[in-house]
Amino acid sequence: MSEVRLVGTLDPNFAWDGARLYEAQDFRVGSPVPRELRGAAVAVTREHDGGWRILRDPLGLNKLFWAESAEAILVAARPRKLVEAGCSFDDIRAIPRGCVLDFVPREPQPVEHSLRAEAWFSAHESAGPSVEQIAGQIEATLRGYLTALATRYHAAPVFVCLSGGLDSSGIAVLAREHFADPVAVSFDLDRGRGAPSEDRRTAERLARDLGLAFLDVTVGEHALFEALDVVLVEGIDWRDFNVHAALVNAALASAIARAAAAHARRSPVLVLTGDLANEFLVDYQPETYRDATYYDLPALAPSALRTSLVHGLDTCHREVGVFAAWGLHVVQPYAAAVDSYLALPETFLKLEDRKPRLSRAIFGTRLPEYVYRRTKVRAQVGGPKSDGGVLAACADRGLDAVWLRRRFAELHRVGDPSRLDRFIRAGRYRAAVPHRHGVN
Amino acid sequence: MRTETGVEVRVETFLRAQFSISPRDSGFAWDIDIFERGYVDSVGVVELLAFLAREFGVEVPEEDLLSDEFSTVAGIARIIRRLRAASGRPA
Repeated sequence: MSEVRLVGTLDPNFAWDGARLYEAQDFRVGSPVPRELRGAAVAVTREHDGGWRILRDPLGLNKLFWAESAEAILVAARPRKLVEAGCSFDDIRAIPRGCVLDFVPREPQPVEHSLRAEAWFSAHESAGPSVEQIAGQIEATLRGYLTALATRYHAAPVFVCLSGGLDSSGIAVLAREHFADPVAVSFDLDRGRGAPSEDRRTAERLARDLGLAFLDVTVGEHALFEALDVVLVEGIDWRDFNVHAALVNAALASAIARAAAAHARRSPVLVLTGDLANEFLVDYQPETYRDATYYDLPALAPSALRTSLVHGLDTCHREVGVFAAWGLHVVQPYAAAVDSYLALPETFLKLEDRKPRLSRAIFGTRLPEYVYRRTKVRAQVGGPKSDGGVLAACADRGLDAVWLRRRFAELHRVGDPSRLDRFIRAGRYRAAVPHRHGVN
Repeated sequence: MRTETGVEVRVETFLRAQFSISPRDSGFAWDIDIFERGYVDSVGVVELLAFLAREFGVEVPEEDLLSDEFSTVAGIARIIRRLRAASGRPA
């Protein structure tokens, strides 16, 4: 009879149901299906009678892969673990996001339950709630989620990745309000400019204004690229926009792990980030460096592009996975408010100033005016000229899309890198529901 | 009236227009891998999915999206016919 066997460890769960954080026992076989689950979650649990429950959150924030061996269905949080266990990369599938699979004894087919909310990607009419009402819902959700988090992890060292942009600044405000001594962490790449980036200056100023301790993470290119293999394996992606962001995260994670090691550990180290707001608000754009265009986006209407970007969260583990490589637990509070974000209508998504407008409605005067007025700069781009960031550093070293794909393939023992097109397509991992063979 | 190959033609017409595939490009055919041959990239496949949803009213499930079948015009057409038949609609 094929069994289920977990290879390695899973990423931590920070999911909640709108009122409380889920506990491990909520994911056991026989527990009610957690249909209100929002935020990162993954579970592989076994009962004494041979039953199993496998669960993955509806946005696919936490990752879970499987492949069959002769005796068991092997599951792991990283494909590389399955490759090391002897599985062929071509045989590896993701557990579909938003899926609860209950394997009952003596039944080969699992009972499937869906956690996906149908309303997320349906058209929103103008008769829906106003943007101000949605902002109020987001604010209340974030407040409730941070309260629950701070109650559970009151003794945890807390770090906030602070770029100086609106999303991370909002999270820094929340961290200040809910945790005792959060530390703001700011990345900068030293490319010999002799001056800190604008991001760094804003982050430092905001940390000072909020009364947050400040951890300066300025790295040179050598240190940055040391983590490249870790980023490819733990980030589970080779596409340049995700690898560049993951390299920034690896530098932050390394510095946070060193800083946290100085404290006695009685609790996991939490890293709060402003991730996901860009996907929810379609706040991405292509970048140009040395006449080449990077980070191209599909030519779609804003709401269709948002759907695509949110579906794309299924792939790439550039935050949770990369920080986990240094033993750190990433919390993405905006995930808790996904329903409200996805209720924002197309007309709002078309507004040039949608991000500062919504942030202002959520955070008001809790954020200083200079944060609202800043022009967005991507951490991996570095500045308005695009020459100071990770993108430029990678491009200048020839670490382009082809190189990254080839290296990912090598690390996962894929002979032909073009086969990777069968692993990620349209922002989704190759996914399927496993069945047990030889069960009768 | 749609012909037997109507779906293939509509998909090809979209691909040629969206990804600037020349009518004189002799390498393009219904049975070649549009991803491996570089006609459609990771951004383009999202646009292709949006077209299929708009044109045929189908959401391509992940098991089809990542299949070998989805790599050719002929395969994409088969998937569309299958999805439409499953929902009780002709292609």
